[in-house]
Amino acid sequence: MTMNLRVAHLYGDLMNTYGDIGNILTLRFYADQIGVTVTDQIISLEDDFKADDFDFAVFGGGQDFEQMVVAKDLPNKRDELIKFIEQNKPLIAVCGGYQMLGKYYVDASGRKLPGIHAMNHYTEQQHENRFIGDIEIQNEATGQKYHGFENHQGITFLGEDEHALGKVLKGYGNNGEDQTEGAVHKNTIGTYFHGPIMARNGNFSIHMMFEALQNKYPDYDFTELKTKVKPESY
Amino acid sequence: MTLRSEIATLAGRSSYWFLHNFMGGGSSLPGKITTTLDPDVLKELGKNYEVIIVSGTNGKTLTTALIVQVLKEKYDHIVTNKTGSNMVQGITSTFLEAKRPAKGKKGIAVLEVDEANVKPIVSQITPKMFVLTNIFRDQLDRYGEIYTTYQKILDGIKLAPDAVVLANGDEPIFHSKELPNPQVYYGFANQPATGDLKAAPNTDGILCPVCQHLLHYHYLVYANLGDYFCPNCGFRRPDLRFKVTDVSERTPKASKFAIDGHQYEIGVGGTYNIYNALAAYAVGREVGIQPDQIRHAFENNQRLFGRQEEINVDGKDVSIILVKNPVGTNQVIDLLGTEPDPFSFVGLLNADYADGIDTSWIWDGEFERLPKMDIQQFETGGKRYKDITFRLKVAGVKPEQHTVQPDLGKVIEDIKQMPTDKVYILATYTAMMEMRSRLMKQGYIKGGN
Repeated sequence: MTMNLRVAHLYGDLMNTYGDIGNILTLRFYADQIGVTVTDQIISLEDDFKADDFDFAVFGGGQDFEQMVVAKDLPNKRDELIKFIEQNKPLIAVCGGYQMLGKYYVDASGRKLPGIHAMNHYTEQQHENRFIGDIEIQNEATGQKYHGFENHQGITFLGEDEHALGKVLKGYGNNGEDQTEGAVHKNTIGTYFHGPIMARNGNFSIHMMFEALQNKYPDYDFTELKTKVKPESY
Repeated sequence: MTLRSEIATLAGRSSYWFLHNFMGGGSSLPGKITTTLDPDVLKELGKNYEVIIVSGTNGKTLTTALIVQVLKEKYDHIVTNKTGSNMVQGITSTFLEAKRPAKGKKGIAVLEVDEANVKPIVSQITPKMFVLTNIFRDQLDRYGEIYTTYQKILDGIKLAPDAVVLANGDEPIFHSKELPNPQVYYGFANQPATGDLKAAPNTDGILCPVCQHLLHYHYLVYANLGDYFCPNCGFRRPDLRFKVTDVSERTPKASKFAIDGHQYEIGVGGTYNIYNALAAYAVGREVGIQPDQIRHAFENNQRLFGRQEEINVDGKDVSIILVKNPVGTNQVIDLLGTEPDPFSFVGLLNADYADGIDTSWIWDGEFERLPKMDIQQFETGGKRYKDITFRLKVAGVKPEQHTVQPDLGKVIEDIKQMPTDKVYILATYTAMMEMRSRLMKQGYIKGGN
């Protein structure tokens, strides 16, 4: 049987500051190994987003100007995004994308902007300080370790119905205080790991790919396919 | 000159003389000594010069060198910071070591200035012209985003409202803020302005600064550069005074093109270098240099291209090209696409401070284009060899064509064994410097720069 995954690159022309597209390229790389086709489409300002048209979504980080413009447009897509999330479809939201899925965020110039409240975290601003550098975390549910790069001024605090993606082993994470990094709600992952979190962490990519496939093809037994993909990491 | 400036200048000049003659150095230390003794010393040093400042994220060094070459057609003696020391101390050193202009005459200085140093420089020296190349996303861990980078340059321009701003008209950000200065634009007009295109996904700076709608283009040159317009509010590219009117030939080693109908050739490839030449042409024309003289100047440009040099390694024609951000990388990949012969590809990635410590940007480079070229062997190396190796793997480079070599010393040995006569090395800054130094030690590059 031929399987495919349809990826929405949310505002991929405006919110792709840190190599976020690497997540899509990596998903395709692993999907190729098991004969699954990956198609992707940018959904930007003037486009409609329909939850039923996609099986996977990537929402990257942006610069302040673009993020402000996206924040104004995002409410138009809110209902369908929440539907997508509640259907258990994987969504990887990085940095700005992560912040905007929450209750609110305060940007670098101190403006408090509403998020779409698809998740319950919120983001404050630290004063003239950025968290920049390598980061390593451990996912407590799976025991998997992920590593990457963070560069953010916003500090995020988790809310109800979500838990951290991992415990910080090295680096700053959500807020530099509580040792948490990222937020998970259903199969939606918010994170400060720069763009290519999936590129750098093969174990995470493969896990998310099979979550998407299982969700789309609930009757298919993926046990054998799972043995065919070998995770790469750097 | 105040006594303090005089003492500071004397100390700086003496230290330059000493370092230059006995230590073989002296690019920023004399500046440091002098600015420590007198923080305002540039005011004194610069006041006898007409100054042109070149800034932007990409192409500063070559544009500056080309401008100097063009101005030589009219001026005997031009001061410039050709070693690329483009911050306050380096520029102070540049003036210290320069021959002073004759009494009663003004000298001319062409200075490459780091984006964040425009304001500190202009607070002491009032330039007569700013030349702006482009603002691309570059080393986000150091400068932040394109808007803040441009703002740093603007903060300097604001201090010199009479200076001409000669800017790349194809770059939307340069038309986004009101300025009191006289403004002149250069750009590409080699295609009919009839299309309606959008920039490729993954391109920065494509929102209309007036109404925040997505910009459209009559045609694109590369990245977000081109004949842009906003279909929503009518914001559009400003009128160009100096235009590339035709591009007739592009190879990795040369470009033939016309500016305002005059034919030119430069001994280096890459559309980005045509922009650099266009900027130099524009400066030349603004100060009254004739098109024929500019052609003569470009013919003498062979030694200027230090960042893209060819080295003979036991019969192999090896080119080292600096890469540091996605737009630059894509332009170099584009340049490789103009290579008529088969070649080998070496990608060297470091992530030291001077390279930018975040390697995420490699995912925005169009490495997927490489497997479609006639590349016989790929090699990846440098401190972050794992990152670049996986990037090429995802781009579709076949494992049987791909070798991995973290040790840069061994990369040189590997190059000698490569199956092609031509080898292109794309390297980040510190990897490039290390390769050059190793090649120099082995006698493949003659000393100096």
